[in-house]
Amino acid sequence: MKPAPAIKSSHYAESVYTPWSELRQPGRLLASMWRDLFTSRGLAWRLMIRDISAHYRQSIFGFAWAFLPPIVMAAGFTLAGNAKVINIAATPLPYAAYVMFSMILWQTFVEALNGPVVAVMNARQMLSRVNFPREAIVLAKLGEIGFNFLIKLVLIIAIFVWYQMPVTKAALLAPFALVSLVLLGTFFGLLLAPLGVLYHDVSQGLIVVSGLWLFLTPIIYPVPQAGTFATIVKLNPVTPLLVTVRELATTGVVSDPGRFFIVTAATIIGLCVTWVVFRLAMPFAIERVSS
Amino acid sequence: MAAERVSTIVTEAGEADTLVSVEGVSKKFCRSLKRSLFYGLRDIGAELSGRSRHSDVLRTGEFWALNGLSFELRRGEALGLVGPNGAGKSTLLRLISGLIKPDAGTLRVRGRVAPLIALGAGFNPVLTGRENIYVNMSILGLSKKEIDARFDEVVDFAEIGDALSAPVQTYSSGMAARLGFACAVLTDPDVLLVDEVLSVGDMKFRMKCLRHMGKLLERGTCFILVSHNPHAILTVCPRAIYLAHGKVAAAGDTSSVLSQYEKDTFSTSFEDNGEPLHLPPKPAEESSGLDIISVCFKDEFGSSLGSPLTGKPASICVRCKAHRAMSGINLIVAVSNLSVENERVLYLSSHYDGRPMNVEPGEVELQLELPYCGLSAGLYSAKIVVTEKSVQTLDAVESFRFRVRSESTAVQNLFYQPREWRAKIVSPGDKN
Repeated sequence: MKPAPAIKSSHYAESVYTPWSELRQPGRLLASMWRDLFTSRGLAWRLMIRDISAHYRQSIFGFAWAFLPPIVMAAGFTLAGNAKVINIAATPLPYAAYVMFSMILWQTFVEALNGPVVAVMNARQMLSRVNFPREAIVLAKLGEIGFNFLIKLVLIIAIFVWYQMPVTKAALLAPFALVSLVLLGTFFGLLLAPLGVLYHDVSQGLIVVSGLWLFLTPIIYPVPQAGTFATIVKLNPVTPLLVTVRELATTGVVSDPGRFFIVTAATIIGLCVTWVVFRLAMPFAIERVSS
Repeated sequence: MAAERVSTIVTEAGEADTLVSVEGVSKKFCRSLKRSLFYGLRDIGAELSGRSRHSDVLRTGEFWALNGLSFELRRGEALGLVGPNGAGKSTLLRLISGLIKPDAGTLRVRGRVAPLIALGAGFNPVLTGRENIYVNMSILGLSKKEIDARFDEVVDFAEIGDALSAPVQTYSSGMAARLGFACAVLTDPDVLLVDEVLSVGDMKFRMKCLRHMGKLLERGTCFILVSHNPHAILTVCPRAIYLAHGKVAAAGDTSSVLSQYEKDTFSTSFEDNGEPLHLPPKPAEESSGLDIISVCFKDEFGSSLGSPLTGKPASICVRCKAHRAMSGINLIVAVSNLSVENERVLYLSSHYDGRPMNVEPGEVELQLELPYCGLSAGLYSAKIVVTEKSVQTLDAVESFRFRVRSESTAVQNLFYQPREWRAKIVSPGDKN
């Protein structure tokens, strides 16, 4: 057996650990953040493959789980709507298609919201034993969300074909809006992740909150135009992003571009700040879990 | 590879030599979970505000897990770390790997750290051995190319062969541990942190690990070895630190640190006065016809011996009271080493040796005569059983504890080897 080639000596860099806050040396902090993001790509890819293959190997229905929730949801609400149990205003698309498509988008948002908390919880043991770039587990989760969306894309295409919905050139822009929706979820999730390591209340709370949040987002009903409820729905940051993705993919006419850009810009800035918070907070969170 | 490492040492001289430097490092913990989590939250707040979190002061309920620890570790050095549970050994390793921040002092670490606190970190039981090797080594910081280059070596070292394509959950615990160990040591670490992992795997694998660690030392890796097994530490580490209550209780050459540690550990739990063990008399209804009264050591002249000396004659004398005449009495002496995880070192039985004994009613002393005591220095526990015709147990002593002392300083010997040295002339040469 020939000896393995030497490992490149980039690891020769000296690490210094002190009690002081890393914020005292912002330059050093930013450099290490950039370096970790860069070096964690390979690991993130590896972890993503691990999680996806482990997930599907232990499942009989496999891909069906990506399709079932939106279909069941659409069936339920269509039945309820037809029986006049609930009263829903006319939607711009056939109702069942509207609910299914919106549900897929919502699911993707919720996955992004839960992603960092779940990823950190699942990796607790690993985190408390090996010092690897923590960004990797979050990136791996984002990759998994992307993979899940690709599967759901099959259902989306089926919906478009079945209901013979036209597609405009604007649909090409829909992925960008979708990314912004995922980033919004990641922003909230990343902010909560270190707390989630300390307190189980966080993951419990997220389930309750996302259940309520679903009904404050125009998914099973069209965007309300007047009243207090309309104001609440408009103030919900998910609304402009989700509605924009839906509009770009179907009608091609964006009803509220201003709000969309404001929320997107805020998300990106927020995400950068949260990244710093995540990095600084993780050692303290890990310290409190036993190895 | 060796050439590259050597050139690094030469060009950077001096400073490059020190891989780990720990200066006055302290770390505090809190035993109450609720409070500990709350403190965690406050520390996060302080860290984010960029102000000092006044970490050098204890808050209510906190204690120092490590207190003002300093040492340095150079390229190619091995340091043993001993101490009772909760002395701060694992905390120190976690600080060096950069998992947690110190509350006072500074740590400087150069190069790749492979923490063996983390055997098989990130292993997924559903995935195959092959997939898990890639995941685990990626977590330890290797790229795909680097893993490819080492893959065969890892499989070879872990001795998993055929099981490579089977899910890791079908592996025995020893196999999984071997795989984890192989992944970690073959990352070519600069600093290796070994925490009690040598207790996994069978004897053969343990020896292989120790040999590989020796090879790493020659290549310039330095490591810290935490173990409850003093022999493992003695074999690889010339230097050791004994931690107690977060402070250095002793530091220096391994054998003196270890003897200090053993003295402290066992002096509190066990009176090492070498007194014979006396047993209270048994009521008649509990007796099976023969009762052990006392157990002690005697020297070759028949006088009582507190603790036997390695290589010198000693007899284990079991004084019994027999209520009737019996034949085919069998004495069993099973000795375990208290210093090495209670490992059984001797199992002597007069029945196995074909030497049954006969007793008459009255007091009798069953003697096991050792022409020289083969046990090396340390603490031992003997289980003593007297049976009739090798089946019927008459009486037993669960644990007779004793210390074996040694006159020589050859602490590396696992047992006493009787020996002679001479220079024998085979063929006389020319005398000019």
